[in-house]
Amino acid sequence: MTRLATPLLAALLVAVAPPAGAAAPGPARSALEARSGRLLASVDVAPAFPPELQKQLANGLTNVIALHVALLPDGEERPIAIFGRTIDVLYDVWEETFGVLVKDPQTPLGRRQTFRTYRELRAFLTEARGVDLGPVADLGNGRWVLQTRVEVNPVSKELLERTREFIANPTAAGRGGGPSRSVLGTMASYLLRGADPGADVHLFRSGPFTAGDVERR
Amino acid sequence: MLPLRALLAAALLGGAASAQAPAAQDASPASPAAPEAPRRYVVERVALEGLTRTKPSAVQRHLSVREGQALDEAAVLASRLRLLQLGWFSTVETRVQKGSERGLVVLVFSFTERNTIVVSDLVLGSTGPQPFYGGLGLSDGNFLGQGLALGGAFVYGGPPAGQPLAPSRFAVRGAFFDPDLDAGGLPLVLGLSGVLLRGEELACPDPNCNGFQGRYGDAPRVRYDRLGGELTAGIRPGPFERLLAGFRVERVTSEVQQGAEAAGPLPSIRPGQSLITALAATYDRDTRSDLFLPTDGSRLSVNVTFASPALGGDYEYARLLVQLETDHRLPWGHGLRLQGAAGTVQGEAPFFDRFYAADWAYFTIGPAVGRALELNFSTDSRYDAVLALAGTEYAVPLWSSGGFFHRGYLALGARWTWTAATSRTGRTPASSTPFSADVALRLDTPVGSFNVSTAYALDIFL
Repeated sequence: MTRLATPLLAALLVAVAPPAGAAAPGPARSALEARSGRLLASVDVAPAFPPELQKQLANGLTNVIALHVALLPDGEERPIAIFGRTIDVLYDVWEETFGVLVKDPQTPLGRRQTFRTYRELRAFLTEARGVDLGPVADLGNGRWVLQTRVEVNPVSKELLERTREFIANPTAAGRGGGPSRSVLGTMASYLLRGADPGADVHLFRSGPFTAGDVERR
Repeated sequence: MLPLRALLAAALLGGAASAQAPAAQDASPASPAAPEAPRRYVVERVALEGLTRTKPSAVQRHLSVREGQALDEAAVLASRLRLLQLGWFSTVETRVQKGSERGLVVLVFSFTERNTIVVSDLVLGSTGPQPFYGGLGLSDGNFLGQGLALGGAFVYGGPPAGQPLAPSRFAVRGAFFDPDLDAGGLPLVLGLSGVLLRGEELACPDPNCNGFQGRYGDAPRVRYDRLGGELTAGIRPGPFERLLAGFRVERVTSEVQQGAEAAGPLPSIRPGQSLITALAATYDRDTRSDLFLPTDGSRLSVNVTFASPALGGDYEYARLLVQLETDHRLPWGHGLRLQGAAGTVQGEAPFFDRFYAADWAYFTIGPAVGRALELNFSTDSRYDAVLALAGTEYAVPLWSSGGFFHRGYLALGARWTWTAATSRTGRTPASSTPFSADVALRLDTPVGSFNVSTAYALDIFL
């Protein structure tokens, strides 16, 4: 298992931390194996892809799915290894096929695949296989958990910033910037902003395991 | 929201799994079936679905995709986010459909409109000279479905205590604002506001009117009426800025009512009929991340008013007001707001264009109570020419995904307010202390933002 440099680890800690408003992590079905001295995980993230998501993934525009799998000491929040993958899903309305572009540590430039049906696509999306979490020897005698984060169509703060504009319109109550005493807030437009752009975040957490629980191949 | 692509890029380039992963352990279950990049389509038509109140033209102004152009997904996403941030819609979904022939697509924006009519003001209060007064303000952020802002508010107090036959005190205000006037591509804004007000200021020898022992009907006073409006036009130099110029005309009528004792200092106003004509200029810069609970950005407002007989009026004065707010994110999602304001008035400004200390404090210890729509229901009629304010608020988010009260936070505020009659005099003791504080519960609801404030209640009793 490679130790992450501190700045990178800090950044990834943010990446796996639950966002404000995200639900508590759900249980995750996962399988672990040791192959050629590496710890490989397969994680079932099916709850992140409910049937109603089909409409969105078939909207003819690129949908981005970000997957992070983190290896954490049981009871702690600081991962010691993390695996990241993005999957761009694009339904071609004329070809009527789902094209995906997968980028992860094995293929940082991306690899493409095509699926004829949503069922095939979902089967691909819901099980992350061969997730490499580093040398299995690094597990030592400790107890560990896997935390998986799936984010559908994340919107970056930078993009939100670029689309933001002046938000406070004048109200009837005030003039010349002076305040007016009111039980309610004086800005009517308080509630009008901050609509959710619609990113879905799903968190999964495995039960604790040790090196002895890892299947050797 | 996280910059996930940047994080992922970092993980992919320097992450643990990438450098040492054996090639045989491909995470993909299948080999590539279609290595070619997706085809690019041309937008044959842009369709808007779900608009019942909002005019399509108001939406189209904010789209950065055009018919006949290649489908640009970045522009589609930017358009969608921009539409969401207008505040008119609770959801904006996008999809692509087949066009009339191969290679062409229809780009569909599907909307769920939200309520844009909200309660902007709710006034309830009680003072000795006015045992009960109340008011309401409503505002529509998408008037006529055109993205226009229209608001109105009133406060009514009825006849003052001890004078049942006296005219009722009331104030009515209305405002219209077009934040995005379509004028040949120029980023213009236009506003119009009006006021009708009948009020009175007590003119006792002391601010408490102690000599009248609660018989406020015997107190001397100044009755006055105001009727006027202001036309504002301006430009948006940048996405976060507005530069406005306005012309204000207001007719004022005032009359001194003698009481059982000689009057004290009278508030500044011309007797009989007079006319205010003034030019106003405002620079406003607002980069706050949110209006309910900002945790990033700032707001700067500089307002200059210049009234002169040269403009046809009777008053000659200048008024400058600068307000600054900065917002900061703290650990655990908490927020810190720093506030400051400074103002000065020079010349013969009517009292209602000066600074009333209680307006700027959370509460005051003494007779002064913050005004409602510029109506003063207290016994204290001292208005000042100089203002300085510094304050801070600490915000603790309590929840962010509720039902009717869908967001809420606890606000802990402290403020220092200083006013003086002229620039060379000491502080006006409108309150026995320049410090005030507040513990408030702020609630964001579909019909307005509630501010359940302990300081508001304290102000009535202190």
